[in-house]
Amino acid sequence: AGRSGDGGGALRPLYMDVQATTPLDPRVLDSMLPYLTAYYGNPHSRTHAYGWESEAAMEKARRQVADLIGADSREIIFTSGATESNNMAIKGVARFYKSRKKHIITTQTEHKCVLDSCRSLETEGFRVTYLPVKKNGLIDLKELEVAFQPDTSLVSVMTVNNEIGVKQPIHDIGEICRARKVFFHTDAAQAIGKIPMDVNNMKIDLMSISGHKIYGPKGVGAIYVRRRPRVRLEPLQSGGGQERGLRSGTVPTPLAVGLGVACEVAQQEMEYDHKRISKLAERLVTKIMSEVPDVVMNGDREHRYPGCINLSFAYVEGESLLMALKDVALSSGSACTSASLEPSYVLRAIGTDEDLAHSSIRFGIGRFTTEEEVDYTVQKCIQHVKRLREMSPLWEMVQDGIDLKSIKWTQH
Amino acid sequence: MAASMAAASGGSVTRRLLRGAARGLSGGGGGGGGGAAAEEPEGAVVNVVFVDRTGRHVPVRGRVGDNVLHLAQRHGLELEGACEASLACSTCHVYVSTPHLDRLPAPDEREEDLLDQAPQLQENSRLGCQIVLGPELEGAHFTLPRVTRNFYVDGHVPKPH
Repeated sequence: AGRSGDGGGALRPLYMDVQATTPLDPRVLDSMLPYLTAYYGNPHSRTHAYGWESEAAMEKARRQVADLIGADSREIIFTSGATESNNMAIKGVARFYKSRKKHIITTQTEHKCVLDSCRSLETEGFRVTYLPVKKNGLIDLKELEVAFQPDTSLVSVMTVNNEIGVKQPIHDIGEICRARKVFFHTDAAQAIGKIPMDVNNMKIDLMSISGHKIYGPKGVGAIYVRRRPRVRLEPLQSGGGQERGLRSGTVPTPLAVGLGVACEVAQQEMEYDHKRISKLAERLVTKIMSEVPDVVMNGDREHRYPGCINLSFAYVEGESLLMALKDVALSSGSACTSASLEPSYVLRAIGTDEDLAHSSIRFGIGRFTTEEEVDYTVQKCIQHVKRLREMSPLWEMVQDGIDLKSIKWTQH
Repeated sequence: MAASMAAASGGSVTRRLLRGAARGLSGGGGGGGGGAAAEEPEGAVVNVVFVDRTGRHVPVRGRVGDNVLHLAQRHGLELEGACEASLACSTCHVYVSTPHLDRLPAPDEREEDLLDQAPQLQENSRLGCQIVLGPELEGAHFTLPRVTRNFYVDGHVPKPH
């Protein structure tokens, strides 16, 4: 961490918010630079060497993305990111099959772009079932089974949740959908490159991929669209028919190259990263929970990705803890909801009481997080939680043995 | 074309002779894309209906073995077929009526890839040049989509290739 960008000369905070975005892996940057400086051709130019070399780089990147998920490279379409991929998958599939199928199933804990795409389809006359989740954040497979209707066209369930890190039973969901011949889409933005994914094994028909969650560049992602059996979707973006007609527009070669290398590096580093991150996560959670009482981990303890830890510190207001931890870049929910005053709908869906939902912090541990960073974060966190609790009248009442739930708070 | 004009004006003997000659030229019973004119065949008729871009229904008497793209072109329908039925474009894209859709053999992967590129794709889309008429397609409706991948927004209509 160098000096801060505002020229003030102060040290920059530690970065512990990898679910929001990740830094570029240096190997990714190295691979992109030539395509930003020298090899700047349009990959769709068929008549000269600039085009051919750019196309070759784009196709190599396509193969690298495909290899990470066990797909054929013709099944990978480059997009501007997982938000676009989610929009394409949900709106595209729904609209293509709309003459016979009008129903979609998703969950209450999906990313906002999935939920908003579903809401916009509802205004077009589609019906959407938003499956609830259990207290541990996982969906109930039996509830999924009964949610199917004769005209269901798509099921969309994210692999790893960006707020609480829980890992849904993708394998089982894939089986259930395949048996009913309903397409299965998963938003794998937080999962690929971190846990093994195989689209055939897991019977996935559509998958959304994000570049900047796996140490790749921002502004690029991909969507996997199965060829056998063929999944059709109505394109969102019309134009010259690039990317199999599904996503017109010049593919940004430097970004695609970056995404490809990010995927290849992730495939190589996956096992090592997972082991190291699991150890660091265990260290963080154990240290905090052993020093500080009344801390709740949100989401299932086992079925999760270790690098995303969401803790609720009872009797402490989340924003004040974040402000206190000013040397550490953290978040209290997801980046896309932090501007709105809405408390996290993911925490509400897992049954967290409203006061605990306001007390939650998400710790992100990534490829470049060091043990010292974790230890510093833990030390500051413990220090400030204790300090804020000293000031808290609620904490005082609890220490005196009062049951807070029995209190009738008066309205002002 | 000359053969069909002669057949229209001549008697039945002339017609049968011409038909025999035509069949000889195109090497046996119906030929997909051969020079044979759209005459009344013997017992191998498949009646289909083309629906053009304006919604006009054009009934056509095809024969078993006819290629739908060439049949459409012979009857003046605006199905471009830019690659001349070599599975390299999507301009012969048609919508096939149900239940005839399911009676067609499953599309080749290359046809599926080209269909992906056709605008306004629907579940009942197929490439016309890959559909060969058989008795099971009696009564089938082939509807032309409003646009193809080639942009003729100025109203230009390409001549059949």
